[in-house]
Amino acid sequence: MEKTVEIPGTPPADDLRRLSISRRIALGAWNSLEFRIGLSVFLFMLLMAIFYPMLSDIDPTRMNVRARLIPPVFMGEGATWAHPLGTDQLGRDMLVRSLVGLRYSLLIGGATVALMLFVGCLVGLFAGYRGGLTDTLLMRITDAQLSIPMIILAIAILGVARPTIPAIIIVLGLSGWPVYARVMRSVIMAERKREFVRGATVLGASDMRIMFLLLLPLCLPPIAFVAVLDVARMMIFESVLGFLGLGVQPPTPTFGNIIADGRKYLLNAWWIATMPGIFLFLTLASLNLMGAALERSRNRVYGGIE
Amino acid sequence: MTVETPLLEVSNLSVRAGRDPEASLILNEISFCLEARRILGVIGGGGSGKTTLARAVVNWLAPPLRVSSGEVRFRGQDILRFAPEASRSLRGKAIGYIGGDPAGALDPTLTVGTQIVEKLRAVEPDVTRQEAKERVIELLAAVRIPTPSQRFNEYPFQYSGGMMQRAMIVDALISKPELLVADSITQPLDVTVGAQILRLLRDLTEQFGTAILFISASLPTVADVSDDILVLDGGQMVELRPTAELIRAPGHPYTKKLMDELPMLWSKDLGARLKPAPAIAEPILRVSNVGKTYSISPRSGIGRARRLQAVRNASFDVFAGENFGVVGESGCGKSSLMRLLTALERPDTGTITFEGKNIFDQGAAATKAFRRRMQLVLQDPYSSLPPQASVGDIIAEPLLIHGLGGRAARRAQAMEMLREVGLPAACFDELPMTLTAGQRQRVNVARAMILEPQLLIMDETLSALDQTEQGRLLDLFERLQAQHGFTYLFISHDIAMVRRVCARVAVMYLGEVVELAQNERLFFDPGHPYSRALLSAAPTLEERRYRSEDCLLEGEPPSPIDLPPGCAFASRCPHVYETCLKRNPALTDRGNADRAACHLLTQGSAQQKDHAQ
Repeated sequence: MEKTVEIPGTPPADDLRRLSISRRIALGAWNSLEFRIGLSVFLFMLLMAIFYPMLSDIDPTRMNVRARLIPPVFMGEGATWAHPLGTDQLGRDMLVRSLVGLRYSLLIGGATVALMLFVGCLVGLFAGYRGGLTDTLLMRITDAQLSIPMIILAIAILGVARPTIPAIIIVLGLSGWPVYARVMRSVIMAERKREFVRGATVLGASDMRIMFLLLLPLCLPPIAFVAVLDVARMMIFESVLGFLGLGVQPPTPTFGNIIADGRKYLLNAWWIATMPGIFLFLTLASLNLMGAALERSRNRVYGGIE
Repeated sequence: MTVETPLLEVSNLSVRAGRDPEASLILNEISFCLEARRILGVIGGGGSGKTTLARAVVNWLAPPLRVSSGEVRFRGQDILRFAPEASRSLRGKAIGYIGGDPAGALDPTLTVGTQIVEKLRAVEPDVTRQEAKERVIELLAAVRIPTPSQRFNEYPFQYSGGMMQRAMIVDALISKPELLVADSITQPLDVTVGAQILRLLRDLTEQFGTAILFISASLPTVADVSDDILVLDGGQMVELRPTAELIRAPGHPYTKKLMDELPMLWSKDLGARLKPAPAIAEPILRVSNVGKTYSISPRSGIGRARRLQAVRNASFDVFAGENFGVVGESGCGKSSLMRLLTALERPDTGTITFEGKNIFDQGAAATKAFRRRMQLVLQDPYSSLPPQASVGDIIAEPLLIHGLGGRAARRAQAMEMLREVGLPAACFDELPMTLTAGQRQRVNVARAMILEPQLLIMDETLSALDQTEQGRLLDLFERLQAQHGFTYLFISHDIAMVRRVCARVAVMYLGEVVELAQNERLFFDPGHPYSRALLSAAPTLEERRYRSEDCLLEGEPPSPIDLPPGCAFASRCPHVYETCLKRNPALTDRGNADRAACHLLTQGSAQQKDHAQ
């Protein structure tokens, strides 16, 4: 048996190289400071949102007119530790309201993005890979969807039906997927002509296998990273809907309706509108930090640097 | 003519990557002279600094590269000390530069003529458009572009690769430069077209008195065209001697090594690798009268669709255990044939049978089963592997596709394959990105082999690799064949490689098999004029059996769209006569199952028969 040929230029096999590729990406991201900051802030917010309302035993909808418009503790004057972030115009605790709002916003943002990513990628994948009539049909549907402005769609649907959370998710998801379908289609169309796709066909791979196991893992991650940023956009859209009165209905607190209500008191009780804004900012910043770190690490690994 | 100072004098030129005196040395103390009407060839392997030298001579180094010492004197002036504006005007006017990528150098949105006129008027603003146009057309004719006044108004995409390279030569020559720097200009071209371009360059030095610095990685090409040869190795000048002398007695070990690596078509006996089929072998793959025509709808959407005959009447048998070669230049239908053989597309006419069964007649499950017995190794080592899967996953993928083995078994088998193709086990979790071209091709081979197929189709598998790596992979193929009893079908444009490996060869031209012959017969007694032309243009240093001047007329292959009747090679064949233009010759038996499609043969055999009677 011939000896293994030593080929110059082979990088030394250190410990990092023995890990599988996804592990290397995860490790690369974990090693960056941004990712750790993002992750800790995000986990902190998440745990707070899950556990604080449960543990603190304060009802976010319970009004207490005598304790209305109490400022946050750091304002000093008249503040109380019973309400660390103050109360709103009806005396409801801002901290609990913000955290419950965060729950709903995260739920809506996450679910919406998952929905539109799923629909958009599936449509784009089939349109791009199959081409021909399938492509024409799917893309005309996409165009039709793209031509309806989101706000009009939301007013039409949510104004007629009750604006429940599933309805809001569907409306937002419906208006968001065409962009993903377009991007996915163009990426797939470029990739499916590559040699390795033909190679896979000759190896005997079925179309489904090529689409879902070869092309999708290749094209999805960059789109998914953009989608993470879209979670933020969707949380803001939910606020927009809430602002229009088409979002989640009071008394259930979401960022949208807290901000919309607090707007009227902006001069004498600025914290009502600001606190949910700060929570929104922190969550989104942490998500973006993590996304960016992962993306960088991924590029480094696939770029052959690590 | 007496010239006191040579046209170009390079003395002690060193180039470093960066300003740091410790920065790596790209060129080390290069010195040479080039006089008018002479061609100096520069040869060296990858990374030897050839292109850097070409760029340094025209003072066009991009940072971080910079000249650290030495001078480049052009007509006695050191051009490296010129101000940027001065060197720019010199570059366009007195020194012409042609790169190896004509398609990238021409602007696709302008007609070829406009671009060259533009260039001329940029360096010589006094010339009127009309004069410029006349000069361009004249030069287009000089580089033998047919119907130059019409071609003047065409866009680059309407030009073939060889014609684009000619247009680039016109672009460089238009300002009547005294020095032409030609960097790897024949590399992307077919051998027969490349041979024509070389002939053209030699004529041009005589006609216009231009000196040429000709840079190439292929020694035979350089030897064909240059008066003197400079050998570069890792930035060092190892030898500078007149061509004939250098070829006869290479002085430096590196030059010797370069020459030893060169393929020999005629003088070396290579019988050991050929692997002819055993005498009573069964055909494993039988291709009979296969044809494939694509219809191209006109760009406007109205009118008659044109027919592109990609494969016409291809017939051959491949016997179990042999090495069979399909050779031809770009556009000859090799790739289309490959798509038919691998059942990616159905032929319009004819049948392909594999192990006695028609590969198209059986539905999806049978096609999948067929694909388990037959595997393809693709050409491009860069795009043929999924970029984001690890090497181990890539090799194990076929097992997954065919549902063979569990996770651990697949991994073990992939490991085994990795070892068999001579890759270190540490590659298993690597991305293909980090491997060299040769290693990537090994991964490709491993992936194809893991299903233990009967027939391996090698579609230009070796053409992206250098000679040394090719040799190593051929050794590997040979060993694997001995172990597993594969049959190889090599599809290639590289006639030297085919000579080394294939027992029987089919020569394709414009979609047609024009000759089918045993290795020896093809190389020593080719039956078809095209085979001779191909041999005459092959890059080799040997005494040629066929001279390209005798075997090949000027001109390029006709377009496969709406082919005229008659023999497709007629437009370039030196032996063409009436019948060739009317009737397309059929494959004629030449004895020993060797066949060729040429009217001269039928005529010849008719005469022979006459003599016999």
